[in-house]
Amino acid sequence: MFRRSPHACQTASQVQIRVDGIAVSVPDTLSVAAAVLQVHGWQGYRRHHDGSPRAPLCLMGSCHDCLITVDGQPNRQGCLVPVAEGMQVERQGGGRHD
Amino acid sequence: MIESRHADIAIIGAGPAGMAAAVRLAEAGVHPVLFDLNATPGGQIYRQLGNPQVGAGVMGEEYQHGRSLVEAFARADIDYRPLSRVWWIGRKGTGYDLGVVQHRAQSWHAERLILASGAMERGWPFPGWQLPGVMTAGAAQILLKQGALLPGVSPVLAGSGPLLYLLAWQYLQAGQPPALVLDLASASRYRALLRQPRRAWHGRNYLLKGVRMIAALRRAGVPVLLGVDGIQAEGREAVERVRYRHRGHWKTLPAALLLTHFGVVPEPQLARSLAIPHRWETGQQAFLPERSEVLAVEERLWVAGDGGGIGGAINAEREGRLAALEVLQSLAGKAQDGLARERAALQRARRRDLEARRLLETLFRLPGDWLEVQPEDTLVCRCESVSRGEVERAITQGAAGPNQLKAFTRCGMGPCQGRQCGESVARLLAHRTAQSMDAIGYYHIRPPVHSVTLGELAAQQET
Amino acid sequence: MRQDFLIVGGGVVGMAVAYGLARAGQRVTVLDERDDALRASRGNAGLTWVQGKGIGMPRYAELSLDAVQAWPAFAEELQARTGVDLQYERRGGVDLCLDADEAETRQAEYRTLQTVSPRLAREFEWQYLHRDELLEHLPGLGERVHGGTWSPHDGHCNPLYLLRALYAASLDLGVTLHPATPVQSVARRAGRFVATTPRGDIEAERIVIAAGLGAQTLAPMLGLSGAVRPLRGQIIVTERLPLIDQLPTPQIRQTASGGYLIGDTHEDAGFDKGVTLNMVNALAAKAVRIFPRLSQARLVRAWGALRVMTPDGNPLYEASKACPGAYNINCHSGITLAAFHAGDLARAILDDCLSQDFPQFSGERFHVPA
Ligand SMILES: Cc1cc2nc3c(=O)[nH]c(=O)nc-3n(C[C@H](O)[C@H](O)[C@H](O)COP(=O)(O)OP(=O)(O)OC[C@H]3O[C@@H](n4cnc5c(N)ncnc54)[C@H](O)[C@@H]3O)c2cc1C
Ligand SMILES: Cc1cc2nc3c(=O)[nH]c(=O)nc-3n(C[C@H](O)[C@H](O)[C@H](O)COP(=O)(O)OP(=O)(O)OC[C@H]3O[C@@H](n4cnc5c(N)ncnc54)[C@H](O)[C@@H]3O)c2cc1C
Ligand code: FES
Repeated sequence: MFRRSPHACQTASQVQIRVDGIAVSVPDTLSVAAAVLQVHGWQGYRRHHDGSPRAPLCLMGSCHDCLITVDGQPNRQGCLVPVAEGMQVERQGGGRHD
Repeated sequence: MIESRHADIAIIGAGPAGMAAAVRLAEAGVHPVLFDLNATPGGQIYRQLGNPQVGAGVMGEEYQHGRSLVEAFARADIDYRPLSRVWWIGRKGTGYDLGVVQHRAQSWHAERLILASGAMERGWPFPGWQLPGVMTAGAAQILLKQGALLPGVSPVLAGSGPLLYLLAWQYLQAGQPPALVLDLASASRYRALLRQPRRAWHGRNYLLKGVRMIAALRRAGVPVLLGVDGIQAEGREAVERVRYRHRGHWKTLPAALLLTHFGVVPEPQLARSLAIPHRWETGQQAFLPERSEVLAVEERLWVAGDGGGIGGAINAEREGRLAALEVLQSLAGKAQDGLARERAALQRARRRDLEARRLLETLFRLPGDWLEVQPEDTLVCRCESVSRGEVERAITQGAAGPNQLKAFTRCGMGPCQGRQCGESVARLLAHRTAQSMDAIGYYHIRPPVHSVTLGELAAQQET
Repeated sequence: MRQDFLIVGGGVVGMAVAYGLARAGQRVTVLDERDDALRASRGNAGLTWVQGKGIGMPRYAELSLDAVQAWPAFAEELQARTGVDLQYERRGGVDLCLDADEAETRQAEYRTLQTVSPRLAREFEWQYLHRDELLEHLPGLGERVHGGTWSPHDGHCNPLYLLRALYAASLDLGVTLHPATPVQSVARRAGRFVATTPRGDIEAERIVIAAGLGAQTLAPMLGLSGAVRPLRGQIIVTERLPLIDQLPTPQIRQTASGGYLIGDTHEDAGFDKGVTLNMVNALAAKAVRIFPRLSQARLVRAWGALRVMTPDGNPLYEASKACPGAYNINCHSGITLAAFHAGDLARAILDDCLSQDFPQFSGERFHVPA
């Protein structure tokens, strides 16, 4: 899991999003992937088509291991989508083939 | 047919190179359109600098350096388009067609184009690198910049390159020192350095900075192991243990988070997608697009910044400005007397910087035979889960080049478009067939360079 | 060592013939170009397909029928030899008609075919199904599709794995493979055939030109027809999606790995195998029209490839009169015909009876009388 540093500047506003249906509040500067890493960590992030567990590797748009469902749209690159108020995020921990 | 929007000048990337190019053009009264993936300008190094989340004390002075550029960019008259993915690039007439997704798909035509799409971290396979709990040092740094996020557990850092030590140092400043730093650079590097005293001298500032960082880490009780030559991540659903080989012995350490870094290489997709010729640069251990002294690739195409070869943030900024000067000259249709001095100064500084960087290349060189000694089942292609053994089997079954290999194994066919495995595949082929990296070449890259949905494209077709 | 056959071209046609000949005990050498050469075999749709073949030349439709009948045993054999799963399936296929006009024309063509060929009248099974009737074969089919012709003969495979299996099986049978060895010229010298390459001359008793578009220059050197021309097709592929029980169509099919392969266009673009923004957009729109659920699917790949087209679009199986022992093999359905190429065609080449067995496909039909 990742936590907000005690040294953080207080310049970010918080937004409320839902991750797997549960409301959480995160800084609005985060990407969806970063928000999930803060809320849940890397475990349970996503299951690959071969059944293996996966989570974000690069957070900059190159590895595609951060795929996640955003507002009902599956397989979005979580690291390239900024969080927004009211956003619904679902981890694909059970894979896409369920 | 879809109507294209027109741009005289387009820039892809809002890192130091793209921002500097845009600012310099705007100063001259020319207003480019600039596309960038991220929500805020800054690129990799200056990510989130417009609204920083962590104090200067943690991030270091290099990060702060970008402030004035980010501010100048914010003030300049530029058609800046954040959260825009350039997924298509192609030649059309004397210019370039761009397919962009910014909320929805749009087509653009640009008469002149500056590629400033920067770098990415090198994909470097080791057993378990696909496990949750393995992330790149760059990713960890992005969390720090984006939201002041620190790992809740003490991470192991492994790999090679300045970014690895920078992150270790930043974690230290933030009060979350790593458990251990494993340096995987080739053991012969110091010998190589001794043979190149000139190079060491040119790069003395880098050397000094590195020595200071390592000293700070050691003072804080963080073990920094040099000469590590093997690494593995193990666990079922996520990393539980890290194994590493030091002085011929494997050691095991319980750990939940392994942050790795194996250097940065140009983000290849846009240049490759235009079939720009590339060559393998031994110093950087990377394929670089071929460009002229003035960064031109074609008459109306320039590559600026780390996308053309790794030179770091300051150099990227210079190259951006240099590319802008070339664009101004191209617009005027003739040499601009007033720009000659500025250009000469930029070029001088650029050559000096690149010379100094050669030291880093020597210092952080990774072992050349790394891949061949990884266990057979180590994944080379993460997207399609293709192992090293599978790649080698396909080579013995007649796959003579990267594209035939891709066809035979699906290696490189997944959504990352070969970004993570392209270099590895070329290395394995070069090794197996005893040819040079240039003789082997690279995947044939075609769009999409970035994600786009059929619906986004279909909607564009219908309007 | 003395070689019986030189095969110029390591595409699916050359490799099928090489495999067939090697299986019959011949010593075979294959010469191929570099990794970045033009290769239809790496850019096709993977259909093993009878529908639409032989309009105007029923013999081609019959040949396609023979080929798809030989496919199951062929696939099994290759799989057993190499362990490569060809992902071959023959459960029937549907050629979609987006509107009523298309439906009319299609049915008229098939009926004509069956009037001229008694065999096709007997054996070529097909049926026109309206959109609602197709739902069982193609769940989720969009409302803006008129219908399509269904036929039980059609199927699909992974054409890349077919190519891989042909390579693996051929190497296993002792075929010598020279990649990155472009043939600059071919000639007959002292009763043998010599291919000149940057790596030197390579010789054999007989030679098969299976060089796809490369035949344009090579075939005439041996008195064979070089009349092939490129016709570009563009294809796009989506990310992997959950597998659905459905039939393949030439417009769109779900591959064994889950991605939807959407194709394919017919464009005269010379030797440019690139992709174009307009075509990719058009293919995406067509896919969404056929399966509206694909609207959210991400595009992961797009490519263009050049079909190897003879003047009348039918295969060219030609034995040289001027240089006996030289053959030219060209076609634009090399996947469908692979089972036939490795079987009956290789046998006819071996026995040197190509012109007797397959007279309709000789190059003479393109020779304009002076
Ligand atoms: C993860 C990471 C972290 C780094 N951290 C540091 C650091 O802390 N200190 C340091 O000195 N150097 C760092 N570097 C090195 C870095 O490459 C240079 O310092 C510098 O950022 C290079 O500047 P640039 O303008 O060339 O490219 P970048 O800063 O990389 O900017 C390129 C921009 O182009 C965008 N882009 C790329 N492709 C597309 C596309 N198809 N469509 C739209 N936009 C696109 C990217 O999103 C990015 O914003 C880092 C590199 C990486 C990869
Ligand atoms: C978009 C598209 C979709 C298609 N869909 C289907 C389908 O669904 N079903 C089907 O059955 N068929 C399909 N086809 C057709 C099929 O792909 C071709 O018929 C088949 O691949 C042709 O194989 P080939 O070996 O003749 O040609 P190629 O694959 O082009 O191979 C020719 C080989 O010869 C080599 N060569 C050329 N010149 C020389 C030289 N001078 N020296 C040495 N080597 C040389 C080349 O390097 C190449 O490897 C499709 C084609 C396209 C383009
Ligand atoms: S984490 Fe690598 S692409 Fe998103």
